[in-house]
Amino acid sequence: MKLNSSANAHGFTLAEIMIAMAASAVVFGGTMTSTTALQKSFNAIDNYFATHMQQIRIVDYLGRDVKRGLIVTTSVDLQTVTITTPNYIIQAGDPEAIANPSLIGAPRTPTITYTPSGPQVNYGNTTSTIVYSINGLSILRTENGTITTIASSTDQLVPETTDVELANTEYTKTSVTFQPMFTSGGSIAQRSGTTVFSTAYLRNKRRG
Amino acid sequence: MKSRNHPEKDGTVRICTLCAILILSLIGSSVLLNSATRFNAASSQVRSWKESLLAAETGGDIAYAEVRKTVMDPPHAFGGWTNAGSTHLSPVTTFGSDNLTTNTAVDLFYTDPATGNAWYRLRSMGTAPVLGLRRTGMDDRMGPGSRGDSLLRKIDFFSDHFIATYGPNGDGVGKVIVPVPNPQITRRIEQISAPITPFEAAIKAGGTFYGLGSAAYVDSYRSSTGPYDSNVRNNPADPRYIDSQSGTVEIDSAVATIQGTIYGNLYTNGGTVTKKTANVSGVIDNDVPFSLNTLEMPSTATWNYVASPTAVTPNTVINPPIVNGVPQAGAPSSPNYYLITNFVNSGSLTVNPAVINGSPQDTYVTVSVTGDIGASTSSQPSITVPAYVHLKVYFTGNFQTKAENIINTSGYCGNLQFYAISPTDPSVQQTININSGGGSNAGFSALFYAPSANFTINGGPDITGAIVCKNFYANGNVHWHYDRRLDTEGAAVDYRIISYVEDTR
Repeated sequence: MKLNSSANAHGFTLAEIMIAMAASAVVFGGTMTSTTALQKSFNAIDNYFATHMQQIRIVDYLGRDVKRGLIVTTSVDLQTVTITTPNYIIQAGDPEAIANPSLIGAPRTPTITYTPSGPQVNYGNTTSTIVYSINGLSILRTENGTITTIASSTDQLVPETTDVELANTEYTKTSVTFQPMFTSGGSIAQRSGTTVFSTAYLRNKRRG
Repeated sequence: MKSRNHPEKDGTVRICTLCAILILSLIGSSVLLNSATRFNAASSQVRSWKESLLAAETGGDIAYAEVRKTVMDPPHAFGGWTNAGSTHLSPVTTFGSDNLTTNTAVDLFYTDPATGNAWYRLRSMGTAPVLGLRRTGMDDRMGPGSRGDSLLRKIDFFSDHFIATYGPNGDGVGKVIVPVPNPQITRRIEQISAPITPFEAAIKAGGTFYGLGSAAYVDSYRSSTGPYDSNVRNNPADPRYIDSQSGTVEIDSAVATIQGTIYGNLYTNGGTVTKKTANVSGVIDNDVPFSLNTLEMPSTATWNYVASPTAVTPNTVINPPIVNGVPQAGAPSSPNYYLITNFVNSGSLTVNPAVINGSPQDTYVTVSVTGDIGASTSSQPSITVPAYVHLKVYFTGNFQTKAENIINTSGYCGNLQFYAISPTDPSVQQTININSGGGSNAGFSALFYAPSANFTINGGPDITGAIVCKNFYANGNVHWHYDRRLDTEGAAVDYRIISYVEDTR
């Protein structure tokens, strides 16, 4: 059987090929540029939301600890927060644990004392200290010497916390900002636009 | 016109199309994966973590309401709960559109030795379901050694991690793997509910407040460390100074005209008092509402009244009843009870202590007066409490006399306590009117708990004690000394939460 051949099936001229290649190069270049830009944009947005999640984590950590705190103090630069909390759980080395090791890990039964400022609930004779601080690009939470990095970002996360004493308790106001990586010029407005605010009240009567 | 087919060209187009679809699908899936992860963490897990605390605190509120009933409505306290001795376990409550659940265990863990008031521990558990994918919102940008959000928000995907690790009560007992039907977050809090004693402030007014005089003052001291000394309140170097700054005034109203000096805190409910408008050494807080419930007569079912007297005339003396030749001094929980049905306007009541072998004994007496103690402002009823006597007077009417007629020489204002039973008819306004009379500054040492009464003091008596009333009015230069020993005086009138701990494990 003989195949039919098309009389119109001719090759391209050199000029046609050159024009086609030039057009293809333009299209390919545009595609690559768009892809790169899209990828950068995607990374920036992904990073933005990842950092936003860390903002939420910071305020959640702080809110949890402030609520159960007895005293909250903030450094002058508002970037270090120290919280004193009750020792709710019996730890190894505590007097109760020495007397009865099986109590390690058990919640304490509170005791009541009458102080000049009124009755006071005590969980053991000591308290725990939790410190929130900034170390480079990381936010650290240090509880009785144990350090945990609760947030770390190249976006320059900056939490600022103030504590306000009231008659019977106090509250803390925290704002967390960061500098998005996808910015032009790093203006202040671009940082302030990322702010997450949080207010947490001490549920305990303030001591000290 | 019929177009011609070129199969070899169709194949190339299909490959190009498939490649384009593949690339777009990869981009789309990448976006979807990241979005789902963020959404999962932000919308589901963070929300559930917060909602579980709300659920736990809701359980705490439910339990707190039951604790308050132990004072205000004892027959119905912990109704519907599982009660075993001093431990009470609530049923599981499900609420909200997200089907949050909560339950609370309440136990009486401490009884105040001085007052017998109970302290309660409220351990609440709140659970919220975690919707979305069964995966953590791990963030790998936490740095070395950190474990992401799961360190903060502990999610039970398949089993309850707390019971498996620490046991149901968190004490390491009864550890067992308990499957959960759906992913959930559970948070546990412990709150302490402390009794509110009736006399925790120098003056507590549930309504309006006017006073005192421009040269008046309210300060404090602690009688258990020595007698009152007027020099202490202005001398920070004095070791007793710390007890001199608790002449606190609490007003549950915005209508508060403050005059004189308050060596303590001042609280109003919506008032406009500032340091410029009042001389207050402590904190001024204009956003401190409180509730003051009406006072009902305690149950007298166990009150075995002494037969006489039943009326107070100008020279009525109560001596302790004698049983088998021994004067009965009574006890704080079982005093000698007397029912007075008529306290005449000029009545004079003196309560003597029991004396055994020549030594006076601490003697506890409770008197229930039906009607008024002093029917008008010109009445002159008197009550005398010598040393060793602890007298409580319940009355259902008004109280009107001169300040000098309230005679308490026991050295402690808590030894003479007046309780004004609220009128059953809300249209009846109860009054307590204390008049110095004749420019005298003779005062008294006593406590008044009268949440429904309008309290008026005319003149400038020297008062040691505390007052709880409805509306307060005083127009003289009163010198008022609150005794900090009153912090723990009297039976609980309400409860407040004073401690909050979360088990973060």
